[in-house]
Amino acid sequence: MSIGVLTFGELIERHEREIFVYALRLTGSRDDADDIFQETFLAAFRAWPPPRRGTERAWLYKIATNKAIDRARRARRLVPLADLRLAAPERDGVSLADLATAIRALPAGQRAAFVLRKVEGRPYREIADSLGCSEEAARSRVAEAMKNVKESTR
Amino acid sequence: MIDQAVADARERLVWRAHREGLATLAYDVLDSPLGPLWVAVGPRGVAAVHYGSEPTASDLARLVRAHGAGLVPDGRRASDLARELEQYFAGKRRVFTVGADLSGLTTFQRRILGATARVPYGELTTYATVARKAGNDRASRAAGGALGANPIAIVVPCHRVVASDGSLGGYAGGLTAKRRLLALERSGEVPAGGWPPSRR
Repeated sequence: MSIGVLTFGELIERHEREIFVYALRLTGSRDDADDIFQETFLAAFRAWPPPRRGTERAWLYKIATNKAIDRARRARRLVPLADLRLAAPERDGVSLADLATAIRALPAGQRAAFVLRKVEGRPYREIADSLGCSEEAARSRVAEAMKNVKESTR
Repeated sequence: MIDQAVADARERLVWRAHREGLATLAYDVLDSPLGPLWVAVGPRGVAAVHYGSEPTASDLARLVRAHGAGLVPDGRRASDLARELEQYFAGKRRVFTVGADLSGLTTFQRRILGATARVPYGELTTYATVARKAGNDRASRAAGGALGANPIAIVVPCHRVVASDGSLGGYAGGLTAKRRLLALERSGEVPAGGWPPSRR
């Protein structure tokens, strides 16, 4: 369904995969990713319609980011990262396990910034949108996260 | 593994969206001997059966007008209709028990489709007769228009309506499909050798 009127189904069909993968990258756990996925889409349906036509994707990322941050703050526990290898990039001789541990150790806001920039390669404009901050703040959050990740994978 | 995880997550999401009353219609794309059928089902019955894997823009707009944006992909809720269509195509079902939900249509369209729904299996009628039964003798051309835009193909059997001169008239699924449905209903069994491959 890709015509004219936007429906829940079209939103699901277009974005379910990337939102799930994003949630998986943020949490490292399939179960937690599933929960964030549910909460994100249900929140979108409850708040329907999307704020502006054509920005549904950014809207979903923003909701997902907030859900993940809330969740991390609530839980304050170490999440199992067994499933991260599905999603994490392998590079620079840093093992997946190292990277996973480093990401896990980041504060929630930095973790989202790191995943959006370094794993998903999003432009800062979109990252700022997802995090609900300025582009400048997004840049510095990514830089902070990078610094922390580099330190812990050194 | 990601695909399965996403499919599981979607299933749970759709279930929760129904439970919260956020989802209003379940849609699915079914395979049929006449090619894919896009179907939508709600609590009041079948809201759409379209030839092809997508509804038309105008009918999607009608569904959203009548049911809101809560259309969700959900094969489970469409499965009763799927089973009845399968039986119909196998020559084993003459009447659909799933009702037709005509909301969002004009009064005239509803009357025409209502009259059409009462044409029995295996029988033919004309656009003029349908127009008369819908209470408007002179509206046979308009009846043809309403039937051409029938959003619930097969279940509302507009394929049983033909022109007064005996020609087939039109059909949203193509005249080949109309001929095949009429042949199926006349012989009461699937075409010898099974359904020929769809040209759609």
